Amino acid sequence: MPFLKDIKYSLHVALHPFDGFWDLKYENKGKLRMALGILIFLTLTMIVKRQYVGYVVNYNHPLALNSINELKYIIFPFLLWCLANWSLTTLMDGEGKFTEIVITTGYALLPLILINIPNILLSNVITLREASFYHLLDALATLWFVWLLFIGTMTVHQYTVLKTITTMLLTLAVVGIIIFLGLLFFNLIQQIVSFVYTVYQELSLRG
Amino acid sequence: MRIKSSILVLVSVLLLVSLCPRPAGAAPYEGYTYSYWGEAVQSPIAYLPSRAISGLEAGTGAWNAPGDLFVSAEGLLYVLDSGNGRIVVLDKEWNTLRVIEGFRNGEKKDSFNNPEGLFVTDAGRIYVADTENRRLVELDGTGTFVREIGAPKADIIGAGFEYFPRKVIVDKAGRIYVVGRGVYEGLIEFDSDGQFTGFMGTNKVQFDPVDLFWKSVSTKEQREKMVQFIPLEFNNVDVDEDGFIYTTTVDKKTFSPVKRLNPSGIDVLRVSKEIPPIGDLSRDRSAFIDIDVTGNGVYRALDATRGRVFTYNEDGKLLYVIGQLGSQLGTFKNPAAVESYENVLYVLDRDLGRITEFTVTQFGSMVNEANTLYSSGKHDEAAKLWREVLKLDANYEMAYVGIGKSLLRQGEYKQAMTYLKLGNDREYYSKALGKYRREYMRDHFSIYMTGMIAVLLGGYVIVRLVKRPRKEGRVQDAVS
Repeated sequence: MPFLKDIKYSLHVALHPFDGFWDLKYENKGKLRMALGILIFLTLTMIVKRQYVGYVVNYNHPLALNSINELKYIIFPFLLWCLANWSLTTLMDGEGKFTEIVITTGYALLPLILINIPNILLSNVITLREASFYHLLDALATLWFVWLLFIGTMTVHQYTVLKTITTMLLTLAVVGIIIFLGLLFFNLIQQIVSFVYTVYQELSLRG
Repeated sequence: MRIKSSILVLVSVLLLVSLCPRPAGAAPYEGYTYSYWGEAVQSPIAYLPSRAISGLEAGTGAWNAPGDLFVSAEGLLYVLDSGNGRIVVLDKEWNTLRVIEGFRNGEKKDSFNNPEGLFVTDAGRIYVADTENRRLVELDGTGTFVREIGAPKADIIGAGFEYFPRKVIVDKAGRIYVVGRGVYEGLIEFDSDGQFTGFMGTNKVQFDPVDLFWKSVSTKEQREKMVQFIPLEFNNVDVDEDGFIYTTTVDKKTFSPVKRLNPSGIDVLRVSKEIPPIGDLSRDRSAFIDIDVTGNGVYRALDATRGRVFTYNEDGKLLYVIGQLGSQLGTFKNPAAVESYENVLYVLDRDLGRITEFTVTQFGSMVNEANTLYSSGKHDEAAKLWREVLKLDANYEMAYVGIGKSLLRQGEYKQAMTYLKLGNDREYYSKALGKYRREYMRDHFSIYMTGMIAVLLGGYVIVRLVKRPRKEGRVQDAVS
């Protein structure tokens, strides 16, 4: 069963990142569909988390929950990260291809799912005093994710440790620049559209 | 034809609807509370305006900018008619008992000059903050002069100190506390002999990080022209039966406009974590100009921004809101003072020179009573009333918390959890959850333990069964 094998391999990556990411790049073991699958599953987990995490640690206003927001806050940043990382590493002698970056980032997200699901279940039976365990696990998941992303980036681009760290920080800056350019672009488009529309209106009212 | 007739029907329906009288007892303002999420939620009205009286109706001539109101323990209303420099005393039926225009001070006739504050002790002594005369005046119940207390004298007070007393209170021990205009050191405290003993309970200095930044980069000349960071002055004060002093501060930035000072001047007000007692949660914040303590830790603060009276319980939770600015009965133009007596509430309007009386509604009295029982620890009796409150207002979060706490004490943990969740009390929800969890595990321990052992055994067996053929396969692979 290839699917089971993929899952087994992704777990292997999470637990043995050096070995796993190496195989991912040089043995072509990483699958794009698996990475995207993890991404979508993570989105689902996050939606479930917002809604069903135990009341003691759940500070979400029930009326403010919106699943579209989860797409916005997970899938969009994911794509932005991959895009920014790719744009940057092509200039900085990175060896990774775009698909490789997507696959690496996708596989690195796995701990978030692995820890979040039992954490959601656990949070429903803990009291306020034990809530720190929940937060601890939450933090662990994030740290694990960052660790995997770091190793992944390092392996895929064949960077040194220092260069990886700078690249990751720079990637964040590039993400900011992309967002800025995007906003600028849409703002200008909007102005052009409204200008054209005004001219059209003027002409049609005079004619 | 059809269109015409349908329009006709529509118009007649609209006419009928507009002709319908508004429901009887409609109040000139809306009742609301704030939910856990800081959203204003409609709520029944707790107090309704019943009548109003002005100086003309009281038979004393119009009141000119009355500045303060006091209701004594017997229910007598003392109105400080500042513009005319006199005190008008009304009884409960609003008949004028006395008008104190002036008094004999030694040999000469004396009178007030624009007094702003008034306090009556349980013994009936009247204390007046005679602002423009820069002194306190003590009169006995009939208006006879007893003594006057001038500006505080001490080494710590600088030469440039300007003494304009605005508000005054006297505690049970006879100590006198004065709010001075522009005095940011706190309340001015006198002992019962009228000797200055010190300042008490200062507000903390407030500053903006932005201001601090500009101050740090500007030159000395620029700095001198800037606003200084000084604490804000108190603007009103009241004392409760235990001798704690409640103060208000007009400041639209602070999150503690109300303070409860203990005898050493430290703020001991209990504040709710989610929403502190700051009035309305809007951008244009409330400005509290008077405070009235009613007992059981319940206090009412009068907001000048929108003319509303906010009532909080001892935990700093908003009980209800009444009043607003306007020109109807029950609304104000420039409210100056709030006082309450039993189940009646009085608000003095400075510009209209009028007192409006509010009487409690069924909802209000249920909330008051339930809160009294609740704060004295009688949770089970309170829960009964809270259930009644919920029948009138299903959004009243305090009621859910009250019922939840009572259920928790009765051992109904599961139900308590439901109510505490509705009331958004995480602390007590968590307590109930802990108790429920223990109870549940005690009842179901055997099932879960059996299940767990079964799962472990089953897993072990499956692993053994799955692993063996695979091992053989691998061996075979290696061979071939």
